Amino acid sequence: MSRLPQDLEARLTAAAPAGVEFSAETDHYGVTVAWLGLASAADLSPVAALLKDMGARLSMITCAQPSVPEEEEEDEDEENEDGEAKAEAAPKETPKTFGGTPFDGTSYEIDYHFDIAGDALTVIAYVPQGGSIASLTPLFRNADWHEREMMELYAVKVTDHPDPRRLFLDASVDGAVLERLIPFSTLVNAASTKGLWERLVAGKKGAA
Amino acid sequence: MSTHNVPETFSIPVGPLHVALEEPMYFKIDVQGETVSHIDINAGHAHRGIEYLTTKRTMYQNVVLTERICSLCSNSHPQTFAMAAEKIAGIEVPERGIYLRTVADEMKRVTSHLFNVALLVHLVGYETYFMHMMQVREIGQDMLESIFGNRQDIGAMCIGGVRYDLDDKSIAYIKGALDKIEAETKDIIKTFKTNGSILRRTKGVGVLTHADAITCGVVGPVARASGVDYDVRREAPYAAYDRLPLVVHSLTDGDVWSRAMVRLEEILTSINLLRVCLRDLPGGPVNINDRPDIPPGQAVTRSEAPRGEVIYYLRTNDTPQPERVKWRVPTFMNWDSLRFMLQDAKIADIAMIVNSIDPCLSCTER
Repeated sequence: MSRLPQDLEARLTAAAPAGVEFSAETDHYGVTVAWLGLASAADLSPVAALLKDMGARLSMITCAQPSVPEEEEEDEDEENEDGEAKAEAAPKETPKTFGGTPFDGTSYEIDYHFDIAGDALTVIAYVPQGGSIASLTPLFRNADWHEREMMELYAVKVTDHPDPRRLFLDASVDGAVLERLIPFSTLVNAASTKGLWERLVAGKKGAA
Repeated sequence: MSTHNVPETFSIPVGPLHVALEEPMYFKIDVQGETVSHIDINAGHAHRGIEYLTTKRTMYQNVVLTERICSLCSNSHPQTFAMAAEKIAGIEVPERGIYLRTVADEMKRVTSHLFNVALLVHLVGYETYFMHMMQVREIGQDMLESIFGNRQDIGAMCIGGVRYDLDDKSIAYIKGALDKIEAETKDIIKTFKTNGSILRRTKGVGVLTHADAITCGVVGPVARASGVDYDVRREAPYAAYDRLPLVVHSLTDGDVWSRAMVRLEEILTSINLLRVCLRDLPGGPVNINDRPDIPPGQAVTRSEAPRGEVIYYLRTNDTPQPERVKWRVPTFMNWDSLRFMLQDAKIADIAMIVNSIDPCLSCTER
């Protein structure tokens, strides 16, 4: 017994001409959690506009770099449409197709978690490395901070963001922090115990 | 009249370290005379990279780690995280565990709300009453310490249930403490409705209209005080909330007073829920007494923390560590609404208005 509109899947499919992957599950509390994979990240804005009309609230945006899947099926998909993805990769603003997004651990999966009258709907868009995604701020003001955080954690670009400054990280820190290995000693800026020891010894010599 | 040429607008910094803010946040506020004309929020002073850290810990270690994201809603994090893991693995929490989760949740809500409203009274300048309210909160803190052994990080949650149990003696003790807090809270509500000092400082101050609340997507008491009648406990029930007499309080004025009043009323509701839970507490095990591997999958779970909706996204793979954990706390949504609340506010009210969203920084920045 879902509170999502009965024709939700049909309306979402109509809003996303490139194709969608829809699934929904209702738990024993009667709360439905639905997932909508978009074949093309370009369909994000029309889908979001439809959801806004339905009174949805943007709850969270998650960006991740999914690891290489082990299922053979998806590997095949990747090979089949790899050429298409490469052809489209040249112009920067053109969002890439879902099937053509390489699952090589560098492309991004961006999940937009919506709340519709208590039920959860997650819209999933795939963006290849170096790609970009449209900002949702014209539709959902509260996408602002989520997108700013996404931009500093990953190298993903958000187009038309009204205020693309750093959110939490200082401007002096290199971007895409979740995409590279940062040694703990560098992270905490205290260096290793050895570095600290050397500094202490040097300081002591200077004093003596 | 003075003929000196003074600029009409000034820019003043509030924070990052400011006597009235509990945690570091930097507001750059443009004022015209005594009135706020524009604000800019600069965050990041408590960013610790916990999101990254979760992918280096095992699922079971993360229950401990997520509890340390924040102190006031420390119970909501491991609970929502555990709910996501249970959803992926198809784990059913035993009935007693479900009720005990609710008990821990509501105890934390009572003390969290009391703390925030007490701070409001402090910022109003009514120090005696602030001391009194902290004393009332202390009954709740003593209760947490007696039951869980800790005042803040109560360590009640685990994947598959809870890590604590109640016996007749502890139930009787909790009931006694609740009676005391209830009587005091009713008194506090009466004071909030009648005391001139509190009413003059908080009524009609820092207003967030219903339309702005929807635009900002605010959650929790901030949303409910602006007429957004939404509570995860009712809208998307979890734990034992589907069978409890939950009352959701909402007001329409959207001012500092309304937000405090929603919190105070919620304390009484929480006390009522706690009594029902303790009365109906089923027997049996409190957890599944097992640590199964969490299979690959993804889940989205939500819960109502004292400050509003907490949402967790969890993706697991074949390793013991999760592939991605992402969460968003209520305050992350509520900061933005300050731009509306502080617009045209008086300088003297800034700290009070900021406090009225019950900000939690270590949660927001992770």
